[in-house]
Amino acid sequence: MYKMQIESEEDCLRPMNCQLNVLSRSDGSAMFTQGDTAVVTAVFGPAEVKPQRILIDKASVEALYRPKTGLPRVHDKMRETLIRNTCSTALLVTLHPRTSISIIVQEMQDSGGLLACAVNAACLALINSGIAMKFLVAAVSCMIDHEDNILIDPNSKQLKGSKASLTFVFDSIKKNIMACHTTGRFTQLQYEESLLKCRNGSDKIFSFYREIVRKVHQEHDRMSPTCRT
Amino acid sequence: MATCYKSIHPVKYYRDFLAKGVRPDGRDMQKFRPVSINVDSIKTAEGSAIVKIGNTVVVCGIKAELAAPKAEEPNFGYLVPNVELPPLCSPRFCPGPPSDLAQVSSNFIAETLTSSGCVDLKDLCIAPEHLAWVLHCDLICLDHDGSLWDACVIALVAALRTVKLPHVSYDVEAETTVVSPEKRNKLQVHNTPVATTFAIFDDEILLTDPTNEEESLSSGVMTIVVQGGQLCSVHKPGGSPLTESQLQECINGAMKRAEYINKLVNMTLESLGT
Repeated sequence: MYKMQIESEEDCLRPMNCQLNVLSRSDGSAMFTQGDTAVVTAVFGPAEVKPQRILIDKASVEALYRPKTGLPRVHDKMRETLIRNTCSTALLVTLHPRTSISIIVQEMQDSGGLLACAVNAACLALINSGIAMKFLVAAVSCMIDHEDNILIDPNSKQLKGSKASLTFVFDSIKKNIMACHTTGRFTQLQYEESLLKCRNGSDKIFSFYREIVRKVHQEHDRMSPTCRT
Repeated sequence: MATCYKSIHPVKYYRDFLAKGVRPDGRDMQKFRPVSINVDSIKTAEGSAIVKIGNTVVVCGIKAELAAPKAEEPNFGYLVPNVELPPLCSPRFCPGPPSDLAQVSSNFIAETLTSSGCVDLKDLCIAPEHLAWVLHCDLICLDHDGSLWDACVIALVAALRTVKLPHVSYDVEAETTVVSPEKRNKLQVHNTPVATTFAIFDDEILLTDPTNEEESLSSGVMTIVVQGGQLCSVHKPGGSPLTESQLQECINGAMKRAEYINKLVNMTLESLGT
């Protein structure tokens, strides 16, 4: 397991911290924090699939979101749907027909930007699991406050004074919008501005992913030197 | 012959049609299906509406109940939307607890109501800390042929605009409630959000107002809720990535549709004679 931290800059994302391979029984896992928001994700797959979920041409992707306290409610179902659809587009599902890939997200602490944190953690766990993906995904949240300022990656204190909050998910190749979820009212111009700011923010997340993978491999090579012939 | 081809390779069947710029039901890519609205037909409910978009039918009934307001929000009543997708509307729903889609739809409608602010919850409060109205909005889909959320939002807003709440007087000291069902006040609806659904086919083609078949064959679906020139909700739960220009197209389409739907609902309500 390895952890890595990036310092935040002005008008940018909160400091991110990640540990891969935290769980021993899953195929891939990640503990990811953005500021004070923390999430643990586990990935199981490709594994045996229940007959009712079997798909003959691709893997059946399932996402489960568990809140910190209480039973999952309707709001959590929406997060599950978003994570499931995003991941099934990002994964090469046609490579594993008649199997299931399960992504389980456990909320540890919610200090704002939980949906974005969950999507990023799911992507890191998928990287750790080694299942083939077409591209990586990065989610960035932002809010529009009552003075029409746009703040990227707000924490829960800042969110109290918001009139709208938006979460965008981007892919790593063309930076197109994979998923989007908004609450509150805003104009089209504000939407486009937020989109642009979030897209710039996603660059940092993608470079964070690259750094993590590079360091994990460096660490791995250092701990078990292999001789190649 | 065409039906055989359609069942063996439905995606190629659709691709052949779209290559000629038309969909199998004869519409072009940006055309909406005809919408019919009927309001206030359910007399046992405080407000009701039935909306048909093509074959999709959604019935909305609003029942009002009196209850104590929440402790944290003593000046507000509440709106409780619930979307039901019974087995009769589509073969993919089984009897039993609400399916995932029903739960996500209820959540979406609840968020749209809060984001748009179409009903001010303060209007539903009768006596702060003691008594408030609770409006149970039940949306039942009778036929699911795509664009479910569009029909739900139109039905809900139209039904809210027909709601007439009886006059209630509450005596704080005696803690008695007097309800006079003959004197009725219309519920104030401040604005009218309109939802539009788009499907992304083959990662490139945008289909407006998709049917159930188109939704299941497409690689992504997006719903945009527009209210008075502003955006209330842009909901794209994953699926193929969209470029900014495609998103722009969708928003423009949603704005145009909102105008049309609002005119239609206004006409329907005027014909009620209220």
